[in-house]
Amino acid sequence: MSQPRSSYAVGTGLFIVLGFAALAYLATQTSSVANVHQGDSYTLDTQFTNIGQLKERAPVKIAGVRVGQVQSITLAPGREVADVKLSIDKSYNKIPQDSVATIFTSGLLGDQYVGIQYGSAKQVVAAGGALARTKSTEPLEEMLGKFFGAGNVVDNVGGSYAVKADFTNVGSLSVGAPVKMAGVVIGSVQSVHADPVKLNAQVVLAIDKRYNTIPDDSAAAVFTSGLIGTQYVAIQPGGSPDMLKDGDEMILTQSAMQLEDLIGKFLVNGSSTDKKDAGDGKSDTPAGKH
Amino acid sequence: MNQHTPQGNNVVTQSLTQIGNCGLFLLTLLAAIPRSFRYVRETIRQLWFVGAMSLTIIMVCGLFVGMVLMLQLYHVLSIFGGTSASGMVVALSVYRELGPVVTALLFAGRAGTAITAEIGLMRATDQISAMEMMAVDPIAYVGTPRFLAGLIAMPLLCCVFCAMAVFGGHLVGVTWLGIDNGTFWSNMTAQVDVRTDIVNGVLLKSLAFGAVVSLIAVFQGFTTPPTSEGVAYATTRTVVASSIAILALDFVLTAFLM
Repeated sequence: MSQPRSSYAVGTGLFIVLGFAALAYLATQTSSVANVHQGDSYTLDTQFTNIGQLKERAPVKIAGVRVGQVQSITLAPGREVADVKLSIDKSYNKIPQDSVATIFTSGLLGDQYVGIQYGSAKQVVAAGGALARTKSTEPLEEMLGKFFGAGNVVDNVGGSYAVKADFTNVGSLSVGAPVKMAGVVIGSVQSVHADPVKLNAQVVLAIDKRYNTIPDDSAAAVFTSGLIGTQYVAIQPGGSPDMLKDGDEMILTQSAMQLEDLIGKFLVNGSSTDKKDAGDGKSDTPAGKH
Repeated sequence: MNQHTPQGNNVVTQSLTQIGNCGLFLLTLLAAIPRSFRYVRETIRQLWFVGAMSLTIIMVCGLFVGMVLMLQLYHVLSIFGGTSASGMVVALSVYRELGPVVTALLFAGRAGTAITAEIGLMRATDQISAMEMMAVDPIAYVGTPRFLAGLIAMPLLCCVFCAMAVFGGHLVGVTWLGIDNGTFWSNMTAQVDVRTDIVNGVLLKSLAFGAVVSLIAVFQGFTTPPTSEGVAYATTRTVVASSIAILALDFVLTAFLM
């Protein structure tokens, strides 16, 4: 009688141990205990004009290393600035007084965090003190909005007329993609095929009959809606008195911008201006030697 | 225990009567907890039956859920070049929803039905009446130990399920599809939060589901008509009622905890 009972007890005990082992595994291996556990810390006050998507408990980093978290975010009474309290680990208490707190985004679409860049002052900011110099979040949307437009697809009603346009590169433009003017859909792409002689892409646009007063020197460009959206053809009206008719060809075209090229150029330009001083200093030395 | 008296033929009235009886039965079960302490060995035996014996199905299912989730996510996220986040998404979706819900559904099918059928047959063969004759409280000896065992076993089973799902995701993602091992773990640890995901998601939800499933199973066993047809009907109803209760409660809990 006691034999089966003790085997139940052993099996049950093993089961409970296994369950708690799994819980310990989840808590320690797959989640960051540091997110909850906070050692001794002190607070710093900062003020930002725009915190973007920054949230409470977002990390605070120095040189990319996590040193604390955002304790609270409140609107400063009577002013259009956000009071952000940072809770920073006691062991990092040598932050110069003129350090700059900046709101960064990790990656292109990642979470936002507060980065602190050390200044050169001898004085160390005291516990409970304030970092006077801050940089607010970069409005990525505004920046991108200048590059890309966006809009919604409307039904094709009332018939359409066809216009041809040649592009050197249509990117991933597909049949049925919208044709937009001023961001409003006025038609769709009827066909996309390569020209065997001119070795470029010939696109036929079906434009709604209602929009029959488009100047014939208008330009067609392949744009991308948003950062990872689909591509569409945008028409930028010209100034000619003659209008586009069925079967006409648009002369002025702008091919699809390759996001990779764009970012590549942007990054190269950005870093070259950033490092201008250092670069000049380096290039001066060999020039002086020669 | 003999409150099962459907009043009227209306479906709504009947379901409301069932829910009301179920609530009253929960109070009876809870009130019997002090008296069930002397049957602690019975509780351990039930824990062994509903918990330890369910481990195989829970572990195998957890492994496959993690593996298929990773496979699906990898193909979707590769469109956006975000495959490095797939480990994190597997962990979050399993901890917050899939782990507790799938574990509870499996638990209802594996352990809930067995509890209902066992108690129903005890009633059909007059074992419950025999216990009453011997001055053994059937609620304290049969009902409460099974309820408590379900309550304790569910969170533990859910933890095992989640751990196996993460392991399955790792198996497919890192070993097969070639996601970097370091990226897999660091993205996961950066996003999974102990309080919101593991305590609120895994533990609290599975505790609530464990209470609901074992309550329904024990209640159906005790209130079924003591016939072979009644036992079959009660077993079916345990699965149906548990599944609906789990998914509805999951929505409510998510709305309140998130």
